[in-house]
Amino acid sequence: MPKVDMDMDRGRIVAWHVAEGTQVAKGDPLFDIETDKAAMEVEAQAAGILHHRAAEGTEVPIGKPVAWLYAADEAVGPSPAEIGASEAPAPGNAGSGAPGEDGRASAHAADDAGRRDARGGPLHPDRGAHAPLARAGAAPQEQADALAPRAGDSDPECGDRPRATPAARARARDAGIDLAGIAGSGPRGRVQRADIDALLTTATPAQPQRSGSLAVSRRGGGSGLPVVLLHGFGSDMTSWTPLEPHLGDRPLIRIDLPGHGRSAPDAMPDFAALAAAVRAAFDDLGLARAHLVGHSLGGALALALADTRPRQIAALTLIAPAGLGPQVNGPALAGICRATRADSLAPWLRTLVADPRRITDSYARLAMDARADPALRAAQTALADAIFPDGTQGFDLTAALDRLVPPARIVWGKADAIIPWQHALRAPGRVGLHLFDHIGHMPQIECPEEVGKIVGQPL
Amino acid sequence: MPDGYRDGNLPYAIRAYDADTLRAALRKMYLIRKFEEGAENSYTRGLIHGTMHLSIGQEASAVASCMALSDDDKITSTHRGHGHCVAKGADLGRMFAEFFGKETGYCRGRGGSMHIADPTKGNLGANGIVGGGLPIAVGAALSAKRLGTGAVTVCFFGDGANNEGAFHEALNMAAVWKLPVVFVCENNKYGMSTSTERSTAVKNIAERAAAYAMPGVTVDGNDFSAVAEAVDAAVARARAGDGPSLVENVTYRWRGHSKSDRNRYRTKEEIADWMARDPIPAFARLLVDHGVLTDADVADIEAETEQVIADAIAFAADSADPDPADVARDVYNPAAA
Amino acid sequence: MNAVTEAVRELSYAEALREAMDIALDRDPRVVLMGEDIGVYGGAFQVTGDLVHKYGTDRVMDTPISELGGAGVAVGAALTGLRPIFEFQFSDFATLAMEQIVNQAAKLRYMLGGAVSVPLVMRFPAGSGTGAAAQHSQSLEAWLAHVPGLKVVQPTTPEDAKGLLLAALDDPDPVMIFEHKILYKMKGPVPEGHYTTPIGTAAIRRTGRDLTIVASGIMVHKALEAAREMEADGIDAEVIDLRSVRPIDRDTILGSARKTGRLMIVHEAVKTLGIGAEISAMVAESDAFDYLDSPIIRLGGAECPIPYNPELEKAAVPQVPGILSAARDLAKGRV
Repeated sequence: MPKVDMDMDRGRIVAWHVAEGTQVAKGDPLFDIETDKAAMEVEAQAAGILHHRAAEGTEVPIGKPVAWLYAADEAVGPSPAEIGASEAPAPGNAGSGAPGEDGRASAHAADDAGRRDARGGPLHPDRGAHAPLARAGAAPQEQADALAPRAGDSDPECGDRPRATPAARARARDAGIDLAGIAGSGPRGRVQRADIDALLTTATPAQPQRSGSLAVSRRGGGSGLPVVLLHGFGSDMTSWTPLEPHLGDRPLIRIDLPGHGRSAPDAMPDFAALAAAVRAAFDDLGLARAHLVGHSLGGALALALADTRPRQIAALTLIAPAGLGPQVNGPALAGICRATRADSLAPWLRTLVADPRRITDSYARLAMDARADPALRAAQTALADAIFPDGTQGFDLTAALDRLVPPARIVWGKADAIIPWQHALRAPGRVGLHLFDHIGHMPQIECPEEVGKIVGQPL
Repeated sequence: MPDGYRDGNLPYAIRAYDADTLRAALRKMYLIRKFEEGAENSYTRGLIHGTMHLSIGQEASAVASCMALSDDDKITSTHRGHGHCVAKGADLGRMFAEFFGKETGYCRGRGGSMHIADPTKGNLGANGIVGGGLPIAVGAALSAKRLGTGAVTVCFFGDGANNEGAFHEALNMAAVWKLPVVFVCENNKYGMSTSTERSTAVKNIAERAAAYAMPGVTVDGNDFSAVAEAVDAAVARARAGDGPSLVENVTYRWRGHSKSDRNRYRTKEEIADWMARDPIPAFARLLVDHGVLTDADVADIEAETEQVIADAIAFAADSADPDPADVARDVYNPAAA
Repeated sequence: MNAVTEAVRELSYAEALREAMDIALDRDPRVVLMGEDIGVYGGAFQVTGDLVHKYGTDRVMDTPISELGGAGVAVGAALTGLRPIFEFQFSDFATLAMEQIVNQAAKLRYMLGGAVSVPLVMRFPAGSGTGAAAQHSQSLEAWLAHVPGLKVVQPTTPEDAKGLLLAALDDPDPVMIFEHKILYKMKGPVPEGHYTTPIGTAAIRRTGRDLTIVASGIMVHKALEAAREMEADGIDAEVIDLRSVRPIDRDTILGSARKTGRLMIVHEAVKTLGIGAEISAMVAESDAFDYLDSPIIRLGGAECPIPYNPELEKAAVPQVPGILSAARDLAKGRV
């Protein structure tokens, strides 16, 4: 497990890109890891045949093996039972295939090798393969602080049991929903009845209205400036549900992007076409003034809309917006587009949030249900190809941000694994930045109360 | 003896009651004695669950105080109340059954020794609270007066209760409202271990009556005739509408306060002295001396009461225990809407 | 239908109680009133008023200042055929009579295996707000409600004051009526003639869907005031007047808790170990638990005797702003 972050002590293997028993070349992308703060792809340090992969979702301390690369003609040894476990002695020889970046790492590996020797395990010191995929080791002392348990929200006695009200528990029980990982909208993240209702609504959304060619739904009544909500790529309007209770009683208007939710799976050749569709839908709403809230791709579209309809946009809140830099987590986008089952969708959904426990299997099932239509998935795949070619953001709205007229702010989670939060730093000084530690790409789900407060603040 | 001599000097009981009534009174005294001895024996054999407060030695006070009462008249009793129950006509089998905690007991096993009552005979119940029955007796007398029933209430209490506030409040109200109640203090000289000399400012508890403007008299509580004479007069006064009285029957309990009493506060000599003044043989002697009964009659009565007690114990032992499922029955009257 | 209706007759709470006693004295010769200064004085709070002139001192009896003895006389009288209504001058003075209430009135029926009943009515002027301080302002209903054998009610309207008093007289068991002193002057519609309000039933004073406020005594009025203010925030509170502490109307409370999923209990008596704790536990132990969508909130008297200073006195018991803010937090899921 490589160290990719300053104060990282372990990394979670989010996904493997290479199957067990596959030949890899040096530099091939091998697996994705995620830490408290970052997620990244790790490349093979050497060529070989991949064996003994640590299971996806396991956390591996820095310097510990996550898999073995065998030479082509090498007999595959027994699976090291302790792989991925923090106390696991690392079998095998550091050798030349996995050079430590400093002496301590080497010594550490040598010590491991010695122990392996003592156990009489297979050693192939000369082959350069069968090496733990360690890129960097760190002395335990350096990790001491990071190893200390974080001051958590939950009582250690309660383990990972989610906070939830009896009503939420009962409803979840009835619906077969696992509470673990649901982002509760109540105090201390407590799951309340409305949170479960929102999940159930996701599974069976009401037939929305249309505006232009796009599906629109509203939360009527209330008072104040209407809030227009633009969701992100691969999502739909129901993703706003956790945030909505925190938006006071203001009228809400949710728009499904083309090829998303209940909107038609129309082909969008490029970002401009997409922005035009959203603009048409917005114009159809006939709003004199609105507060525009966009997430990710919806953030970019909100920016584009504000660029062309500055007088109607009273304020702009961009949550982890796209369009401010080239980087984007292409594999995640592709994985989401590709997934046909909850099992393959869930790992990618988990890259969206800082705490993957938020995405439970039942949540993933519901999300997959919402993506069940092959036409919708095909439209999204095509859209991804059009606007995120080769895993790159193919559109740039930094100029639009610079000339932005309405007051605006950007909300970003510093554990965003989809779009680097540093893109926020491109914003001109008059744009407010709200950056959250330990929050991923979905602040509106991961900390809805905070985001609600920000949206509610006058600009 | 010449008639004239007898008429002028006969004890009150002989003058006031016929032979059958006197025989029945003696029988009740024996029943009380045998009941309590039977209860004590049953306790020793482990048949009785709780404690008990025995009145052995006080039988004359209980029976003689109820001589003028009908079933319409009321009594309130005390924790040492077996004698009052029997005197007021209770069934011994049901008393034992209550002692044994059986469903056939007077309280269906819910009350035990300290709460035996028989409202059908005017017995409003023993009471586990010292002084608890005093205001209740006044209330019963208030009912009798308001409802015009003509009933009199005899309120038994011990020397310990005379220092409770309830005693003073009850006597005062009974006097203020001139109610038909007779306060009968059974002064057995000790409130648990504390003697009346150490606990009570007046020499005789009957002196307290003066504070409430009612007659107060102290009598030998082991002298059946003396008690009957004093209480009968008080009952007559109450029934006539002249208000309450206080009668103090000085007596002695042979046994300890309860089964936990180790008798550290009185001497063997004192106990022996009082046991020599056993009220039952004294009353039997009175009846024999005045030709009401023969010695053989007395022996027959005693033997008959032993059989009554044996039958009562057998009835109680054979009776069913209450069903625990009914534990909360009778908290409220089901007649409530 | 004829739209014209007769003007509803209004009486004060004290007048309604007096009317109930008047009806009872008139229709049942067994009824007697007992208490300190309830005769020509008319009662410390003028509840018995001039009844002594109508029924005489034999039926409207001034007792000596003897709470224990007086209560016991009432117990004995109830046991033997009268229907006493015993007034404590202040509920605080009932502490002097606890022996008779708790050991005798409550237990006689049970101890005697169901052989007797104690159809006794006792009235307890209770509560704070009069500047009478610690020994004349308590709310001790929970003490008595803890004793099986007693029934405890807390009427909050003139109509219920009359109806519950007449129901208590019909009841074969001892019924303790806690009357909040501040309510004595409150006016409200009161039906004519004899009627009863069933003991053991709560009253839903306001239906709502967002949260349930179970209140007792004067707190019902404070809760209703708070509920009206909450309307402006779009919060729709259901307010239940507990009305009967023992027996408690389980069905109404649980039904409302199931409906709203959010429960708040407000009483003037000290919060700790109070009726709110009982209701809270009752809901937590029932199937209504599954419907709760937030923790249960209790508001009750502070951990102190009722103080004299008017501001301190207010601070010692729940007030409308406190109810309002707690209810808002509860309704908005912020608790």
